[in-house]
Amino acid sequence: MEIMRLVVTGPVGAGKSTFIRSVSEIAVVDTDRRATDETALLKQKTTVAFDFGRLSFGPEMALHLYGTPGQSRFDFMWDILIQKAHAYILLVAAHRPSEFIEARRIRAFMRQRSPVPMIIGLTHMDVPEAWDLENAAIALGYLSTNKRPPIIAVDPTQTTSVAQAVITLVQHSMQAHLMPLS
Amino acid sequence: MAVTGYLSEFALAELFNFLEQGNKTGLLTLCKLSDDQLQYRENHYIWFNQGRIVAAANRLDQHGLAYMIGQRGWLGEHTALRVAQTCDVSTPIGLSLKNQGLLTVEQLKLLFYTQVMRQVCTLFALKDAWFQFDCKAPLPFAEMTGLNAPATEVTLAALRVLKDWSALANKLPEPTSAVMSIIEGKPQQKLNQTEWQLWEFAKGTISLQEIAQQLQLPLEKVQQIAFRLVTAGLVEEVPLVTVITAHPKPEPLPMESAVPEATMLSHSFLHNLVGFLKGKV
Ligand SMILES: Nc1nc2c(ncn2[C@@H]2O[C@H](COP(=O)(O)OP(=O)(O)OP(=O)(O)O)[C@@H](O)[C@H]2O)c(=O)[nH]1
Ligand SMILES: [Mg+2]
Repeated sequence: MEIMRLVVTGPVGAGKSTFIRSVSEIAVVDTDRRATDETALLKQKTTVAFDFGRLSFGPEMALHLYGTPGQSRFDFMWDILIQKAHAYILLVAAHRPSEFIEARRIRAFMRQRSPVPMIIGLTHMDVPEAWDLENAAIALGYLSTNKRPPIIAVDPTQTTSVAQAVITLVQHSMQAHLMPLS
Repeated sequence: MAVTGYLSEFALAELFNFLEQGNKTGLLTLCKLSDDQLQYRENHYIWFNQGRIVAAANRLDQHGLAYMIGQRGWLGEHTALRVAQTCDVSTPIGLSLKNQGLLTVEQLKLLFYTQVMRQVCTLFALKDAWFQFDCKAPLPFAEMTGLNAPATEVTLAALRVLKDWSALANKLPEPTSAVMSIIEGKPQQKLNQTEWQLWEFAKGTISLQEIAQQLQLPLEKVQQIAFRLVTAGLVEEVPLVTVITAHPKPEPLPMESAVPEATMLSHSFLHNLVGFLKGKV
């Protein structure tokens, strides 16, 4: 059995659970619970454990998707998962600049713990307050277009959009394997 | 596209970092939100040229600098305005006045300090305001001394003297996080002593908590210094894996043993996967 493991990470409410639900063939284990404290202001339910989704595309071939929990801090579970992931996508809600700082934090954590390829998916781009892609990229600390990972718009509520994002991630990681980035 | 929002969501320090890193040119408008007395609503304007602050005012009639010059008795306000009207429309008025021998370089520096450094620093104390950055706004040559400052230099100066940090409480780096340099070599900015001390730790390995102990500084102070270095574009916050002290050796989760190590995937696997996904697009 050959399995590719992708981690879907990002700040609270970025769309991680929705993303995984949109492509998973199995019902995603629902670990969403009523949010506490600050998160409750943003949304009613948040993921308290890792989301898991699966996509089989051959008798011996599958894609596994792991979504990081929204509220939790960076504990050993995160570490275990990213050590085992082949690539990851960082989802960032483009209409919530208050979370950009958290997105940068998560990215720094991931980069420190794992060298695997990553891409950035900007969600909520359909919301009027959303920052455009170029400005969001700068706010996330990417200053030049040639020295950054692929940054794409993705709508986690749309299966086609999520499939496209996963293709981008897989293709990016294929390239990264051919040409290891520093 | 105009960038808009609220300072309670995207702090002035973050905004300045964004404008500097993005080399932005245009006008930043801050609109105070005073809910009780709407008629006293006051706006602040800060002009940027390629990420550097070139002027600030609380009016848009371009008379702010001339008024300041008049107030100091260096030149009549009207004379200054007349010079502004007659001189080249693409030259900062400060330069014109200097070239005509009407103001000295020292006087221009004082004007810039009052107009930009002092005025903008006070804005960091705002708990909230609506902001808009308009990259189409022209530069206000009649408000410009000809001097400028990198936006993050103003941030550093402003945050050093900020007393009330409550509005930034949830933006501060976590006590359990480390900081790591994101620049090559040493900072170009002038740092103060404690900033240099923290800079020495910017290797992404030691938590702010431990740094505070080693430097014998209050944790809160160290978090604030770290935030300054972050918004100055010098370091990034790196969360460290939180060790659960109650269980030094956590029991392995079912997932842990179930998930094998990441192995190299075959090309045929990846091509099949992409092909399968393309069927869903
Ligand atoms: N309009 C719009 N809504 C979206 C988009 N992406 C996600 N959502 C919605 O945003 C809400 C939050 O999505 P979740 O998938 O729960 O986010 P999450 O990242 O799993 O959140 P936590 O588990 O709390 O961290 C849901 O109501 C989604 O339907 C998008 O691109 N556009
Ligand atoms: Mg979730």
